[in-house]
Amino acid sequence: MADQTPLPALARLGHASHCKRCLDGLPDSQTDIDASRLALAFYCIGSLDLLGILKDATPKLDRDRESWREWIWEQQTRGRCGSGFRPSPFMTAHHPPEEQIECTDYDSPHIIMTYTAFLSLSILRDDFSRLDRSGIITFLRACQREDGSFSTVPGSAESDLRTLYCAFAISCMLDDWSAIDVDRAVSFIATCRSYEGGYGQSPYCEAQGGTTYIAIASLFLIPSELRTSDPLTPEERQLTIQWLLRNQDESGGFRGRTGKEADACYCFWCGAALKILGASDLVDANSLATFLARCQFKYGGIAKAPGEHPDPYHTYLSLAALSMYPPSVANNSTWRFEPLDPLLNAREETSQWAKKYIPARQS
Amino acid sequence: MPSPTGDQISKSLFAERSEWSDVTPLQQYESLVNPLAPIFYTEEYKDATDYFRGIVKSGEKSQRVLELTEAIIRQNPAHYSAWQYRYETLLALDAPLDVELKLMDELAVKYLKTYQVWHHRRLLLAHTRKPAPELEFIARSLGVDAKNYHTWSYRQWLLAYFNDEDDLWRGELDFVDAMLTQDVRNNSAWHHRFFVVWGCGVREGEEDRGRILKRELTYVKQNISLAPNNPSAWNYLRGVLDHNQVLYSIVFPFVRLYTVPFNSERTDIVDLENPPPDKDANLPCPAAIEFLADVYEQDKNKESTLQAVELWMSLANEHDTIRKKYWEHRIREALEATKV
Ligand SMILES: [Zn+2]
Repeated sequence: MADQTPLPALARLGHASHCKRCLDGLPDSQTDIDASRLALAFYCIGSLDLLGILKDATPKLDRDRESWREWIWEQQTRGRCGSGFRPSPFMTAHHPPEEQIECTDYDSPHIIMTYTAFLSLSILRDDFSRLDRSGIITFLRACQREDGSFSTVPGSAESDLRTLYCAFAISCMLDDWSAIDVDRAVSFIATCRSYEGGYGQSPYCEAQGGTTYIAIASLFLIPSELRTSDPLTPEERQLTIQWLLRNQDESGGFRGRTGKEADACYCFWCGAALKILGASDLVDANSLATFLARCQFKYGGIAKAPGEHPDPYHTYLSLAALSMYPPSVANNSTWRFEPLDPLLNAREETSQWAKKYIPARQS
Repeated sequence: MPSPTGDQISKSLFAERSEWSDVTPLQQYESLVNPLAPIFYTEEYKDATDYFRGIVKSGEKSQRVLELTEAIIRQNPAHYSAWQYRYETLLALDAPLDVELKLMDELAVKYLKTYQVWHHRRLLLAHTRKPAPELEFIARSLGVDAKNYHTWSYRQWLLAYFNDEDDLWRGELDFVDAMLTQDVRNNSAWHHRFFVVWGCGVREGEEDRGRILKRELTYVKQNISLAPNNPSAWNYLRGVLDHNQVLYSIVFPFVRLYTVPFNSERTDIVDLENPPPDKDANLPCPAAIEFLADVYEQDKNKESTLQAVELWMSLANEHDTIRKKYWEHRIREALEATKV
């Protein structure tokens, strides 16, 4: 508990340069990012967005924004099962850029990357005139499985709650839910609920903060006209709130599972789920900020826990958590952020941009 | 099928090996614009993936593809396309999957936190349909990391997938018990216990649910008495009562023992239904206070509500101050409800 201790400054510039460095290039020790580069790019660009750095109108920034957009659009591919975004050209052979090639089954659009591409392009204020909307609908449809869940790429058996959330978020941004069977997806979510009040990654799995956010956000993303019942019963809601709140430990940070150590990313996952459930005023925001202050790395970036190395994922999610839980004890303005949309996981203004430009135009 | 170790792979590039000279390597697409977060690959990774793109283009599914995909996976276990192509090659060759599983035993421990390793294993098991040896392997993996999420999920998937095989399930309760004896605070093990007893059908010999409920209540109470400040056990207790729609008041005498400072007079009576806390226990226990308040709240009358409020106040102001706002919220809600 640190209600009285003043917070140190949040090293905004340091965190921004950590993310910029990662956008410039990654060492070979991070080769395992190869198959999820677009997601990493989103955490970097998203951090810059939350930090308010992309608002400036310098010529250098204009050029950056332009080339970032171009690279992201290069990842939009079309294959047998529709269109979407791939993680990077990690499986694409070199070809003349003007040549449009159809992607193979091993180089196909990826549902998580498609979600992060939508958000990244919205942050960069793209007009989405190049989006293959009908191709995306075909792709989403090809990803839904018999049990209601979604696979990462069409035909793969790799599926869990994360991909389901991405399908929902994409449908929400498109303002078009015709691709997916919502009822079947909702019953899949229900099979992931645990006796503790949280949700696991797949049926029968232990309750976990990340997948609990995913489940709650998915249930609340469904437009009311497609809903057959309330997202949660009052008893379920109460138990979930209790479980989420109990995950905040003495350090002020949230843990992902009962009995584990606090980790910066769960400040977002648990915090955002609580926000969606209308319980954000029950969180001890000052302790949360105290914990995140200690997760700051000396040379920029935020780590999962004090003393660990930073990465864009934990940096972004920490800043997103602070956007929902501003500390009241901060005696300096470095802790101030603009509001965040917890359902899509983007700055409010970015989320509005997505909802305005991603849906098909009424012509 | 000899599987090369990581060292042997780095000895020579595929480009330098005569047996690969018939394959045309394909370089990765190079963007005209500045790429986002480019990775500065090692020569070995670049080489192996160039050959992999060549193989995928030709559609070749042969023994050497297994060598190539293994080389990639060892450098990037999250390369899902290499995994997928490897799996299809195994099936196309009708390769012995037990050999593959042996290789996976090594890789799973090495890349314990990579989703793909476990996913591949599920695909193999759905084919071999020989789940029994897997339980032993999982137990060994949990020896390395007793709370690994992927490992536990895999065990739950395996048991649920082969739900009808009673032999597979037979030792499961003993297994959980051994895990909890090792670490009574391992929430994954408590969760697994719930899955085994309540979550996935009724096992042979467990048809009398009243008896099972009693057994589980005794089990969790004994474990709480050994380590009272263990949220996992309290959550299990609550979960069992909720699942069986039993009112919390059934455990009132037990829970109350943990809400007050240690009482030396009470230990003389051995009450197996209500095992008391050890005299070294750190009391009162906030989880017990919370539970007791819930017992009172379920009564839904004015007097018991006031008792719940008193307990919540002690949590807010003394025993669980980080959730002060939450306990104050509970107090407001409960008082509101009794007014109506
Ligand atoms: Zn984390």
